[in-house]
Amino acid sequence: ARAWPGPTPLSLPAEKHLVLLRDGRTLIGFLRSIDQFANLVLHQTVERIHVGKKYGDIPRGIFVVRGENVVLLGEIDLEKESDTPLQQVSIEEILEEQRVELQAKQESEKLKVQALKERGLSVPRADTLDEY
Amino acid sequence: QSLEDCPLDEDEDAFQALGEEDEDIDQFNDDTFGAGAVDDDWQEAHERLAELEDKGVPSRDADGPVGNDGDVLGDPEDALAERLTRLVIDSDLEDPAIMQAVHTSGHTQPGALNSSIWDSSAVLRRIRGPLLAQEMPSVSVLDYALPQQPPQAREEERDPSERALPRRSSSPVIGSPPVRAVPIGTPPKQAAIPNFNQQVSARFPWLRGVQDASREVTVPLPSSQILCPKPVHIRATMQQRYPAPYGERMSPNQLCNVPNSSLLGHPFPHSVSPVLTHLQRAQLLGGAQVKPLPMLFQPLHRQDLQDLGLHGSSRSFSPSNPTLADSRHSIPTQAGRMSPSQFARVSGLVGSPLPSVNPKLLQGRVGQMMPPAGGFRAFFGAPPAPPPSQLPHPPGPGSHLQNLRWVPSLSHPLPRSQRPPLTLPGFPRPQMFRPDTTHLHPQHRRLLHQRQQQNRNQHRSLNGSGGDRGGHRSSHQEQIRKDPYANLMLQREKDWVSKIQMMQLQSTDPYLDDYYYQNYFQKLEKLAAAEEVHGDGPKKERTKLITPQVAKLEHTYKPVQFEGSLGKLTVSSVNNPRKMIDAVVTSRSEDDETKEKQVRDKRRQTLVTIEKTYSLLLDVEDYERRYLLSLEGERPALMGERKQKICDMYDNLRGKAPGQDRLSDDHFMQIMCIRKGKRLVARILPFLAPEQAADMLMATARNLPFLIKKDAQDEVLPCLLRPFSHVLYHLPLGTVTSLVQQLTNLPQSAAAPTNPHLTAVLQNKFGLSLLYLVLSRGEELQSSDTNTELIQDNQWTELMLMATRELLRIPQGALAKPVSIPSNLISLFSRYVDQQKLNLLETKL
Repeated sequence: ARAWPGPTPLSLPAEKHLVLLRDGRTLIGFLRSIDQFANLVLHQTVERIHVGKKYGDIPRGIFVVRGENVVLLGEIDLEKESDTPLQQVSIEEILEEQRVELQAKQESEKLKVQALKERGLSVPRADTLDEY
Repeated sequence: QSLEDCPLDEDEDAFQALGEEDEDIDQFNDDTFGAGAVDDDWQEAHERLAELEDKGVPSRDADGPVGNDGDVLGDPEDALAERLTRLVIDSDLEDPAIMQAVHTSGHTQPGALNSSIWDSSAVLRRIRGPLLAQEMPSVSVLDYALPQQPPQAREEERDPSERALPRRSSSPVIGSPPVRAVPIGTPPKQAAIPNFNQQVSARFPWLRGVQDASREVTVPLPSSQILCPKPVHIRATMQQRYPAPYGERMSPNQLCNVPNSSLLGHPFPHSVSPVLTHLQRAQLLGGAQVKPLPMLFQPLHRQDLQDLGLHGSSRSFSPSNPTLADSRHSIPTQAGRMSPSQFARVSGLVGSPLPSVNPKLLQGRVGQMMPPAGGFRAFFGAPPAPPPSQLPHPPGPGSHLQNLRWVPSLSHPLPRSQRPPLTLPGFPRPQMFRPDTTHLHPQHRRLLHQRQQQNRNQHRSLNGSGGDRGGHRSSHQEQIRKDPYANLMLQREKDWVSKIQMMQLQSTDPYLDDYYYQNYFQKLEKLAAAEEVHGDGPKKERTKLITPQVAKLEHTYKPVQFEGSLGKLTVSSVNNPRKMIDAVVTSRSEDDETKEKQVRDKRRQTLVTIEKTYSLLLDVEDYERRYLLSLEGERPALMGERKQKICDMYDNLRGKAPGQDRLSDDHFMQIMCIRKGKRLVARILPFLAPEQAADMLMATARNLPFLIKKDAQDEVLPCLLRPFSHVLYHLPLGTVTSLVQQLTNLPQSAAAPTNPHLTAVLQNKFGLSLLYLVLSRGEELQSSDTNTELIQDNQWTELMLMATRELLRIPQGALAKPVSIPSNLISLFSRYVDQQKLNLLETKL
């Protein structure tokens, strides 16, 4: 990134930032500190889980993220934030949806592997760290 | 004993040992707080003890952390204490939990603050765990001093605790002065600091005058009143023993460590200062090497400042200006926050070539005062900008600022141009300070300023005619209300990280290092330019982020080698590596190789050829850009180079053999068998001269079935269609005719019943498409140019007749699906066949 993403000077209201981590998590919070490795300190962080058109927020508090796990970091335009087609649901609901989705994915994956095995092919297991 | 009650698992031995020494620690306590307190400094004490030791007192160690008074000496239990304390590492013993535990155990002195707080083992327990786990100096965690400190009126304790040296988390060097930390429970000193001054000047003369820029900033480890039992992590107080990165001795941590001189004169209200101090201290501890400094928890008095004569100095952060200009410079302006005494010296600052402190820093500090963790009471009641008329503020329990004041300050590394102008106290600077944003991307900067403007307008409208100060304060307050943590990162820290990022962008050849970014921006600029031409509107801001350009320096490092020496130099580092392995290339002999190996080698040779040609191709493709960037005089040379490279490429492709006739397509075929080779040819074709290109086309057509067979898996041949069609466009009829001949393998001898060549061609997508293209071209030529020679015409006609016949013969199913069917094919065929057959053909195609 070529722009300075750091926390804003005092004259401006704090801006929310969105961080995407390598394990696929999405964190939204106020970026309080950053360093040259992209280690981040997020304040009043919320983990947002997206499933389809729905999303749910889990408040997490303060996050310190090690830079190597950050995929991208961006500022959230507060005006545009409310302007989304996505629907917010409760935490329980979104977790349930996520579980269902994961299950479906796993089953389809299993079927695929089975089919390949029958044909004598095998896909090497992907590195678990870089699943996404 | 409360110690025994404590259900502590760790360090049981130590604890038991300490338990035995209760009396000694009590003694120490007594020394500190009670009658035994003596106005000593450790040097004298040390000497005394050393003498005693020399005299042969067996058990007395000179540098024990325990009390130093004479009456203590000779006590066998003390001796034991000494020995035991030596066993335990300093930090452990000074661990607040332990100290407290020890304190709590027997201490019953009235009014001792620690006893009132640490009596309960519960408290101790709560604290001990995290403390020991972290092994951090007590200060950082427990020093989260909360505002209302009970008043301390302990004159006696003042001095020893002042004298107390901060704990060392690094192992003490042999022979270093003893480290005697004041236990945590020691209440902060309240009295004035005249003798403190003396001590300072006596012990640390170097702090007075000009300080060497290379000297690390020291931080006192104060002991403050711990009111809040909940430990809080502020920052890991790791001692920085290694030089700061990027060759800079000072890191932002260190910068923060230096007390912001702006704070020196700050008569902060009680409610504000403690946290500030604390946080600052935590920051200070974050990076500085801890050096022994006396306790500095005292309210700052003007008098003291002047006594010290050392308010701080402006020091540039940048490595280019490491020297301290003048330590006598007054504290840079902090609008509205300077005490009049300091103001007298402000003028010195103007002449200083060094940047001043960012007033926003102060605000930053102020902003920082809000506790980050939720567990702390908010004490931010009063507005943070008290008018200077509040000076001098009464020595209250809360003012703990000044532990930092006599350490030289590092001012914010603002460039001179951006230094805020001096203002008189009472007129705080409006929030117009624009941070150094040269490193921001222009779009970002624009947005930032936009928002700043918005906010400013907002605030102005809100505060009306409150005046600058009022407006400033209330907007500030509003900011605090809105977002108290907004300035956890100081501007200088942000700048520092920015700087690092910019350094990473340094490049000698941006097109090499950052190709995609450069191209992307070129595209954007082209678009913008195009738009501008169309719209004729105002020229938009098209500023690029200025990345630092580094001159290209040719370094060919040759490691030092001595003639005739055995082995290599042992000294090697990152900057002067030495050759580890002497690799020698040996070519293999041809005799032993098996056929397989030969085949493999041949393939490898082909691959190598492809790679070489590819680099040539990339260079040639790059010439356009270089041409634009180069000077007029250089251009012919560039063109020449380019031509040469193109020739080389062609030679590579066809199989360079200077003396030989290029009869064999073998080399070319080898290349064409490889997927990358085909792609390479497709890319090279536009650069070749028409004859050369036609030559390639012929070769391809000639060997098309072979190629088709080889391409079955890759299916890359269609990528050649486009360049081939371009080539075709320039070909005369004769060539086209021969092409068709090659493609269709017509005319055939009558004996051959089938035409596998043609069949193969027709059955392949690429082949068929190519055939169509060629036919279409031929038709084009025929229809357009009426002056073709008769012979050629005849040839063509014959060919076409045969071709048509073949096409008719082949069943529809055998025909491949071509990429595209040129429109003039029908008209082509219409010349040679009658309507019936034409219809048949039409349906086939």
